[in-house]
Amino acid sequence: MDNQWFQAALWMGLAFVATLLSVRIAISIALLEIMVGVIGGNFLPLQRTEWVNFLAGFGSILLTFLAGAEIEPQILRKKFKESVGIGFLSFLMPFLGAMGYAYYIGGWTFPQAAMAGISLSTTSVAVVYAVMIETGYNETELGKLILAACFITDLGTVLALGVFFANYDQSMVFFIVITAIVLFLLPKFTPWFFEKVGSRISEPETKFIFLLLFGLGGLALMAKSEAVLPAYLVGMVLAPFFLKNKTLSHRMRVTAFTMLTPFYFLKAGSLVKLSAMWNSALLILIFLLVKIAAKFVGVWPLTKVFKFAKKESMYTTLLMSTGLTFGTISALFGYTNKIINQEQYTILVTAVILSAVVPTVIAQKWFQPDLKKEGNDV
Amino acid sequence: MFKKILVGNDGSEGAKKALKTAIDLAKKYNAELHSISVEEGVPQYAATIGEVEEFRKEANDYFQKINDDAKEEAKIAGIDLYIKVQAGHEVETIVHYAKEGHFDLLVVGFMGHSKIFGRVWGSTSQNITKLSPCTVIVVK
Repeated sequence: MDNQWFQAALWMGLAFVATLLSVRIAISIALLEIMVGVIGGNFLPLQRTEWVNFLAGFGSILLTFLAGAEIEPQILRKKFKESVGIGFLSFLMPFLGAMGYAYYIGGWTFPQAAMAGISLSTTSVAVVYAVMIETGYNETELGKLILAACFITDLGTVLALGVFFANYDQSMVFFIVITAIVLFLLPKFTPWFFEKVGSRISEPETKFIFLLLFGLGGLALMAKSEAVLPAYLVGMVLAPFFLKNKTLSHRMRVTAFTMLTPFYFLKAGSLVKLSAMWNSALLILIFLLVKIAAKFVGVWPLTKVFKFAKKESMYTTLLMSTGLTFGTISALFGYTNKIINQEQYTILVTAVILSAVVPTVIAQKWFQPDLKKEGNDV
Repeated sequence: MFKKILVGNDGSEGAKKALKTAIDLAKKYNAELHSISVEEGVPQYAATIGEVEEFRKEANDYFQKINDDAKEEAKIAGIDLYIKVQAGHEVETIVHYAKEGHFDLLVVGFMGHSKIFGRVWGSTSQNITKLSPCTVIVVK
């Protein structure tokens, strides 16, 4: 099907179906877009054209920026030692565990094994947050600490993705210097600039953010790094501003979820080969177990050091074992840059999706700490 | 007879009838009247916190409106209505709240899922009746 408007209609049709399903069954739009994408990629004439690849890439960059902008710096500062400790080991252990398994037992090459380690090192802060909202756990000190630790884990993943496969030459120095200067100036410049230009229908604020993401993304690409790295860092330094400016956050989310992230998640799903999923079912299961086991090695002992109760230790560790967005972004980076093949991509993405669901269900079913629910009193 | 009454309010027609009955009973027994609204459908396995936050904002705006209306209705009848909005599963959350708050009467409207869903799993009001720690009135 060469007609680009029919192609666009097919992609948007799938995004629309995923949205309707999401509203009906209360499963996130991201997960459903991936699943609908799997169907589209395996059974429909879905083409990954240049413009689809651009929109999907833009979607992943914006998604990463938004994830960075959701960090609450106050919580990080308040529980710095605990969140960095848990978050760092929560990244490191599954990274080493999955990489070690893929390299020594799975027979993958070192770059492919590193890709497996990065994809499975993540913790999905959004999956954790959604669970906590339903339990009221997000309002507790412990809940806030877990969320802060999730951000540290994701930072580890994004940094690993950005530096592991990069070129260490002049272009890397240039990328680091420019990014450092921009990150230093942004927290002061952005509020001042946004106040000057004001909020308008032409969206100067959003365009400014896009300009930054594209510019720094371009420099990252020159250094053979990954554009999501500066996107996450820009999000992090602008987080205090975005937490106060809810309207701007809302407008950027609308832009992302309407037009960009559907292409990213549908594309991520469309590359999953059902035949490979079936043939590698055992390996997928092993990767999932390696991820969960490694998270236990990294996180569980620390919860004991910080004197968590028994159920809280298990609950925290299981929630830290979840993954979704950064796992799929990493795997797609590996496939796009020809580090892993489509079968390996399928294995990693399926393991990542399972890691969003399986630990969450176990944590909710058997290890839910007894908490008095908090709600809004009016 | 009843000292502390809880009414489930999701803004549906059934809930409106339940609220009316609860206000009448609170007046008759000089009881304290509370209402609970449950934010159901928080998106599971979300990609960003933003997706969850946007859902909650929409739900909060909706519940703010129906609860303002409910408070006004109670006020006209000379009753103070204490309101709670909470995320979670509807049946589980209402039952848990009734238990924690030591309510002696729970009033809910006869509304629920589709007919097929209701036949297989039971309607919301049926399940609340089964699990509630106190007397339940289902208003039709």
